[in-house]
Amino acid sequence: MADFRFFLFLAVTTVFLSGCWFAGADESTCVACHQGLEHVSPTHNDCVDCHGGDATEKDKDLSHRGMFGKKNPAAPKVWDKTCGSCHPYQLERVKSNLMTTATGMIKNIQLTWEGEDGRLYANQTLETHAADGTPVTLEGVAALDHLSGELYRKFCALCHVSIESNQIWEGSHGAGCAACHFPYNENATYQGGDETVKGKWPYSASHEMQVLPDNSVCVRCHNRSGRIALNYQGLNDGNNSLVPTSNGFPGPQIIGGVRNVTAIAPDIHHEKGMECIDCHTSRDLMGDGYAYENMYHQVEIRCEDCHGSATERPTFATVQRENDEAVRESQHYQRQVQMGDELILTSKGRKYSNVFQEDDKIWVVGKRSGKRHESKVITDTPEHTIAGHERMACYSCHSQSVAQCYGCHTQYDLRTTGRDFIKQQDTPGAFSESEDYRMLYPFPLALDQRGMISPVTPGCQTFVTVIERDGSRSKDSYVAVYDGEQRLRFAPFFGHNVGKKAVGCGDCHSNPAFVGFGQHVVEGDSINATLICEKSMDKPLDGFVTLKNGDYRAFSAIVREHSRPLNSQEVQRTWAVNQCLVCHPDPKDPIYQKELDYRELDTCLARPAAERTLNSSGD
Amino acid sequence: MATREAEQAFVARSWGRADPGFYQANCASCHVTTCFDCHGGGGHQLALPGKEDCHSCHRGYYVGADYYGMAPREDALRYQRGPDFQGEHYLKMSADVHQRAGMRCGDCHSMASLAAGRKSAVSCRDCHQPDPTIIEHSIAGHLENLECYSCHSAWAAQEYGTFFVRFRDSSYQQYFHVRRDQTADNYIRSAYLRRQNLPPLGINEEGRISPIRPQYLAYFSDVVGEEAVGEENRLLTAEWRAFFPHTVTRGTPMCDACHHDPQRFLLGDPETRIYRPEQDGLTLGSFWEQEGQDVVNGSFYPRQRFDNMSRRSPEFVKAYVQKWKNLTESVAPSLP
Repeated sequence: MADFRFFLFLAVTTVFLSGCWFAGADESTCVACHQGLEHVSPTHNDCVDCHGGDATEKDKDLSHRGMFGKKNPAAPKVWDKTCGSCHPYQLERVKSNLMTTATGMIKNIQLTWEGEDGRLYANQTLETHAADGTPVTLEGVAALDHLSGELYRKFCALCHVSIESNQIWEGSHGAGCAACHFPYNENATYQGGDETVKGKWPYSASHEMQVLPDNSVCVRCHNRSGRIALNYQGLNDGNNSLVPTSNGFPGPQIIGGVRNVTAIAPDIHHEKGMECIDCHTSRDLMGDGYAYENMYHQVEIRCEDCHGSATERPTFATVQRENDEAVRESQHYQRQVQMGDELILTSKGRKYSNVFQEDDKIWVVGKRSGKRHESKVITDTPEHTIAGHERMACYSCHSQSVAQCYGCHTQYDLRTTGRDFIKQQDTPGAFSESEDYRMLYPFPLALDQRGMISPVTPGCQTFVTVIERDGSRSKDSYVAVYDGEQRLRFAPFFGHNVGKKAVGCGDCHSNPAFVGFGQHVVEGDSINATLICEKSMDKPLDGFVTLKNGDYRAFSAIVREHSRPLNSQEVQRTWAVNQCLVCHPDPKDPIYQKELDYRELDTCLARPAAERTLNSSGD
Repeated sequence: MATREAEQAFVARSWGRADPGFYQANCASCHVTTCFDCHGGGGHQLALPGKEDCHSCHRGYYVGADYYGMAPREDALRYQRGPDFQGEHYLKMSADVHQRAGMRCGDCHSMASLAAGRKSAVSCRDCHQPDPTIIEHSIAGHLENLECYSCHSAWAAQEYGTFFVRFRDSSYQQYFHVRRDQTADNYIRSAYLRRQNLPPLGINEEGRISPIRPQYLAYFSDVVGEEAVGEENRLLTAEWRAFFPHTVTRGTPMCDACHHDPQRFLLGDPETRIYRPEQDGLTLGSFWEQEGQDVVNGSFYPRQRFDNMSRRSPEFVKAYVQKWKNLTESVAPSLP
């Protein structure tokens, strides 16, 4: 809201006009040296409250003595004394948050790297509460004495909020609360008005707190693997060809790890001006106090929350108390929650603080922008009540693309040392990666942890090579045992690249790649892969099922509970629909509202059919 | 093969416009100089070409390695792994059915045919007669209009946006972490996007529907010192060629891969395109739009013919339903 901005403007100008606004400003040696430093916020007024140190000492070293966390008082080592002393509710949530503990990442690496030992780990040992409310101890990952622990500590650990990362272009962030609320710029250099720090590395770009982080904060970490923050914005971390050039330099845009990103169609929500935090609640991002084991349990939002399901409209609850969580949460939004607002509920039954019902319509309001977006409700529309589509995840049809990285070849070489980011020291064993192929479309579908049919992406097709100190290879392109069998793995995945138009009926039903065959040709009762896994004679690298002389088999696992590839009956049903689609291409056609009777087909074919032209999508 | 006239003419109208020395610097090593290039031996000890002799030139993006089930990898260093063939890494693909049957290049490409300037001594139908009981072969339009390999090519290497970047007195070359074995020392070559799936289709010189692919969408940047001089990422030409991928297979794609897919003919709907090259300064709005591009040895497939071909006539519907019915019913009940 404009008056909030005006308030901020007033606060800032007051600082400049009076020289200082800090408590005891007359004596503050902090202010004397750090002139021009941005104000954190109108409510964070005292340097020493957050930073510690001594504001009366003139000598720099004496004044800085006893400061919390040196330059970053929000770091986990000291956050109990600093941020947490005023914000205990937030801090307790963040401590058990998956972005802090990385419990899910560690657990899944263990599962897929033969490192499962029945324990749950976190970056640091933590006593907390599990999702069911029972006390649980997460062990420090430093104690995970296994290759999976090494991989986490030396490869993945940089991308979570409790450790600073400061050497990755477009991928650096501070530790603790500062990771999101005091963002680093592309090269972790302070660019604000304090001459004593200006241009120095590694510092946040400004000393002004970002209460509501923008997308550039999220992309600092969510740019690898699933790279959802890139896909969302229409950026493709594709083949890293480093062209076209950008004034002679690799281009068009460079991100960390000698990677370039190129332009693809952005997510429709991005195109409409929505930011990551406009969908994701603070509980998604900062946790709700419970230690979940996977992000898909911590995240509480679903497409259906705002768009309705096939059978149920979005649900809401009315704000009846001034201390409603949503009222507090929205205090820095452009639109604050009012008493009487009918706020839409997440899948966990909690209120969104920026989505409400008004005049029978659903409205999403940009938390930072204040922009109102109407959310179209799809409930009871014929294309969404197709018999047999009850199990379809929205984003199976509504994804334009899904990032897929095929063939991940990881080498662990004990002849050299690698940085252990948890132990903060170099230890024997360095990781390096090479890979085979990345693509966006088509994308395979399988059953996810909810039993819904969802896009899946390699998760992961890891081939592990371990080089011992004597140069011998104790593992050579090794495929790990998962769930009792040596096999590659796919994982259910929402690619965050929702389009205006859904994938056409025929595009999916008539392309076996969507079932998991990868690119292929059909020969009688066999489907032959054309992009082949090096470990096999004829299995697809970009798929997980085969059909040989009528024999349908899955050879890769879909990770997560209840997940699996489609079975043969489901595949048959999927393909049988093509016999109808050829004459009935419209998803709204009433024949799709009840289970198809394929015996009808014989009479159907005997009738003269009107000639039709099909529409299709492309890339 | 020996004169390289066509290749020199191509370079003259593409990268040669930006760098007159381009052909000599980047292409000349594949030029046949003496008989011994192919026939080994020396003096009067001529030999029949070994099966790998052809592939000292016919490799990479050029038809040849595909016969063995190898597709070019991405240019970035992190992709330089996997099967190695004459010093280059490839993606493992399905091999040509003739290769699997033990046939060598010379079995189709005789000395006499090559010397006569013909691509091949035999064509598919010299050896194979289409079996009319196969649904697709029973459709007269298929036999009249299509090359056999329009359906029977399992895959084809495709390169969308071939960049050559020249560096002079510049330290910037070191930042391009891409393979360095494809160009002169002061150049790098890298492809914006690669694919190795079913190739797009167009019309070849014989007027038949044939696989086509970019060869090349030629881009050039000239880096002097620490800046690009002239027009950066200049599109010099956007040429496609009708060609015969050597990835022949007994199988084929299903009907929908052509009849349902306008993009296959570069007639995709601009609204639903995924890649947005023009936003990256590549001039072209999409690689799969005919506008602004040419087939140098044929033509693109006209929209009117595509619309006509995509009509659901009663004959089409019957054949289509039978085809899908056969595949669907062939799946034996089993648990995955």
